[in-house]
Amino acid sequence: MLTVALQQGINGIVVGSLYVLVALGLTLIYGVLVQINFAHADVVTIGAFAAYFFTFVFGGNYLVSIGIALMVGAALGWLVNAAIFAPLRERGSELLPLIATIGVSILLQNAMLLWFGPIPYAFDSPYSNKVMRLWGGTFITWQNLIIILVSTLTIALLYAFMKFTFMGKALRAVAQDRETAGLMGINPNQLIMLTFVIASALAGMGGAMLGPILVLTPFAGTSVIVKAFAIVIIGGFGNVEGTIIAGLAVGLIESFTTQLVNPGLTDLVVFTLLLLMLAFRPTGLIAEKREENV
Amino acid sequence: MSSEGHPALAVPPDRAWINRRGWFFVVAVIIAVLPLVFQDSYWRTNLIVCALNVMLAIGLDFILGYAGQLNLGHSAFYGIGAYASTLLIMKLGVPFWMAFVSAMALSSAAGMALSIFAVRLRGHYLAIASLGFAVIVHQVLLNWISLTQGPLGIYAIKPPPDIALPGVPVISFAGTGNMFYLVAGFALLFYLLLDQLVRSPIGEALTAIREDEVSAASFGINCTAWKVFAFGVGSALAGAAGAFYASFVGTLVPDAFIITESFTILAMVIVGGMGTLIGPVWGAILLTILPELLRGFGDLRLVLYGAALTLVVLFMPGGIVQAVQMLRARLGRLPIATHAGTRQ
Amino acid sequence: MRIHSRILCIGVAASVALFAAANAAHAQDKAIRIGGLFAMSGPGSYFGVQDKQGIELAIEQLNKTGVDGYRFEVQYEDSACSPLPATQAAKRILEQYKPHVVLGEECSDATLAVMPLMEQAKVPLLNAGSSSIKITDPGNPWTFRIMPNEVMQGVDIATNAYKRLNARTAVLLYENTNAGIGNAKVFGDTFKSLGGQILADIGFGRDVNDFTAIATRIAGLGKVDVIPTYTLEGQGLRITQALAQAGVTKGGGGQSIQLGTIWLPFGFEQKAGKAALGYVRIVQFDPTDKREVVQNFIRSFKAKYNQEPTHINAHAFDQILVIADVVRRGGKDSQSIRDIMTTTKDFSGVTGSVEFDKTNQNIKMDTIHYMETLPDLSWKALGWN
Repeated sequence: MLTVALQQGINGIVVGSLYVLVALGLTLIYGVLVQINFAHADVVTIGAFAAYFFTFVFGGNYLVSIGIALMVGAALGWLVNAAIFAPLRERGSELLPLIATIGVSILLQNAMLLWFGPIPYAFDSPYSNKVMRLWGGTFITWQNLIIILVSTLTIALLYAFMKFTFMGKALRAVAQDRETAGLMGINPNQLIMLTFVIASALAGMGGAMLGPILVLTPFAGTSVIVKAFAIVIIGGFGNVEGTIIAGLAVGLIESFTTQLVNPGLTDLVVFTLLLLMLAFRPTGLIAEKREENV
Repeated sequence: MSSEGHPALAVPPDRAWINRRGWFFVVAVIIAVLPLVFQDSYWRTNLIVCALNVMLAIGLDFILGYAGQLNLGHSAFYGIGAYASTLLIMKLGVPFWMAFVSAMALSSAAGMALSIFAVRLRGHYLAIASLGFAVIVHQVLLNWISLTQGPLGIYAIKPPPDIALPGVPVISFAGTGNMFYLVAGFALLFYLLLDQLVRSPIGEALTAIREDEVSAASFGINCTAWKVFAFGVGSALAGAAGAFYASFVGTLVPDAFIITESFTILAMVIVGGMGTLIGPVWGAILLTILPELLRGFGDLRLVLYGAALTLVVLFMPGGIVQAVQMLRARLGRLPIATHAGTRQ
Repeated sequence: MRIHSRILCIGVAASVALFAAANAAHAQDKAIRIGGLFAMSGPGSYFGVQDKQGIELAIEQLNKTGVDGYRFEVQYEDSACSPLPATQAAKRILEQYKPHVVLGEECSDATLAVMPLMEQAKVPLLNAGSSSIKITDPGNPWTFRIMPNEVMQGVDIATNAYKRLNARTAVLLYENTNAGIGNAKVFGDTFKSLGGQILADIGFGRDVNDFTAIATRIAGLGKVDVIPTYTLEGQGLRITQALAQAGVTKGGGGQSIQLGTIWLPFGFEQKAGKAALGYVRIVQFDPTDKREVVQNFIRSFKAKYNQEPTHINAHAFDQILVIADVVRRGGKDSQSIRDIMTTTKDFSGVTGSVEFDKTNQNIKMDTIHYMETLPDLSWKALGWN
């Protein structure tokens, strides 16, 4: 019994890290841009496909493919921002960019469907089936370990970047008050582009690591995107620590709901939690210090 | 609100009244004639789906474009209406029209509940809350198998019962022709209803709330009450559409009401012209017929659809209505103001 | 003058003869119009893409010689695996293409939605992929199914699990769809009626990617003899791997045997790797089947598409063969095709034999082939049917 509980705990953290990887980019974009990007999960899917083709068709090394996927993600991020968000920024509407990203998402998914077809790709990395036994009869696969380690490292680096470098501070300034930052001589548009590129690079890299875990079809993104949004809100829009905690929490909720009740009900539980969160604590788990018109 | 928002005041009242009556008459005639032009079941089905989508789109626009509430979960009310009416009829033997009204009431109640729940939320928070609500409704429909049959589906749902009036041959709704008249008729009715609402002081209040909620409150407008009202009306319409959907398609599965359905309805509102009443009508018609016309393109169909949506938002955010306005201006005629300025 | 008129007469006669011959050839060059209702967009296109491959291959082969002077033509409409788009696609194809016979759909909900339309239009519907019992049980004279339904499959595999594998405990694992729930229920009911015990009934959504939590739950249940799994290949792969990682199934050093259904294609084992060891499943298409029709099919499929055929390719191919058989026996329009199809007997296709019972369900059990995955990932035909 203890083994099962421990294992589900580990499973929860693994699944949670999966969600955090996807949600992180979303929360970054929101933090600086105050925009929701529905096409984000499709960047994850594209990253996964990029890694797949590099590894299996081109014959490259899997670990290198993670880097490739990162660059593909970055390029896509640059494109989406330049084509969609930048032009719409002037209009100041909350809704239009959101709709535009919905359009982009539909476009990307169906373009992928045309190129890759609907049949799932069996993407297995050299690590996805290697199992490491831990204490008490529990286990974790090497792939999952890689995901947790890389996520943690990335988050740490991101944190350091935001807190200690000039660029990072400038980003936070833009997030807090774009106009004043502009007056201070910071070019907000450049920084916004940088945020987008970083967030999408993270998504692409996430895709490469998640590919061996996901059921890889053009629709892989849709299976995670709405939950990723839920996590971003539960954690607090734009709040990195909150997103991490919320992501892990959701992962744990899922694995324990699966154990004790039924996997089919996990969505119900998570989204009910989301609505409760919005009702009682809309700013998220960790109260945002920024002044937000909630 | 200044008079610029009121076309009725820009034109002498008599003329405006006649104009509107004239247009509605024209529309009624078009509705009457359409099934005679399209005699085959395939195109008539498309027309019925158009009418359903018009109902959904104008309802959503009332919430979104007029009251300014970011509702991304409209599919939930559609689904509640469909399942409520069907279950009432099939499990409790409730007569169709009573079930229809109940379905509208239930959807409306759900909408108002969501609105009250989200009364403090604005912008993106409301958007995600409504999305979450839609996911929950879908999951309940999917998992509560003893009530809804879940993925197993409900089959052999009957169309609305025949209407037997003295001296007139029995009107049966089993065929697509009469079903179209029914659904389109209701769509027109709802349009008229919303049109009246929008032109009344209620419309002014909603616009005020949409533009600047804080100022509106300072004018003594009860923002909460009107937001709830808007949600109630918009979701009631979705409930009606749901009841018609079930009795028309004859088969009900929860996956007909997944959240992507909300996005489709949203697209119709945006592409048509948010914040106007005629815009969503055009949007609904276009986005229902377009995928059918694109069937020839096979695999490219949805790629084009996504591209179209993105491009419209980027270059013509006011949708078709804005495009028409610009055309008119180009042609040198006086620009005809719409009910409310298109929200940028 | 006389010579001229003779030549003229011969000329006219010759022209008339030629004209008549040409017309006769034309009259013989008739076409059977086949409508294809398959999902071409969205995730359901997984089926449509493969169905199309099988159908195109069959038609190409048949049209080389024609059948009794008939050619075969096909037109596809996107039914998107969902009731409303399926009804729209059905209406469109019935009204614009006016097919003699229609194939489809793969998803049970969509099939059930279009059946009344086909009946109304008096066009026979031939199904090869939906398992819901509701499709044939009520006895619709215009619907035919060559695929074994959920009851046939479920009763057979549960009985075999109990008797041949000596299984006494089972965990049901299935996707939350019409087909998943239906199939799992039949297995569960049969297994229990034989005296077996269902330790857990686990349904999951189509959007689940990580199955470790489910595998962990199963691992904690104690001795599980068999795990009947009802899911498509994408999730099926992840499930099999997770079960092995958790040490539940033979592939992971455990004792449980995964049982599966028709839904997993040939080639699954290669993708799943060692995790698939010991998997026993029903396949609709067995490439180790030595019959000529099967081997010819594999050869020509590989030649045309440069890939191994799956069961979906195979059952689509068979649908065309069934129609060809009916045409050979005199079917030429919707009514005659329907009437002659009901009498189909001694038909041998790639997926097995076809003989319809009075509800137009194919009752030949040799369409249910049992395979076991060997350590080298090849199949061993168990020959239980």
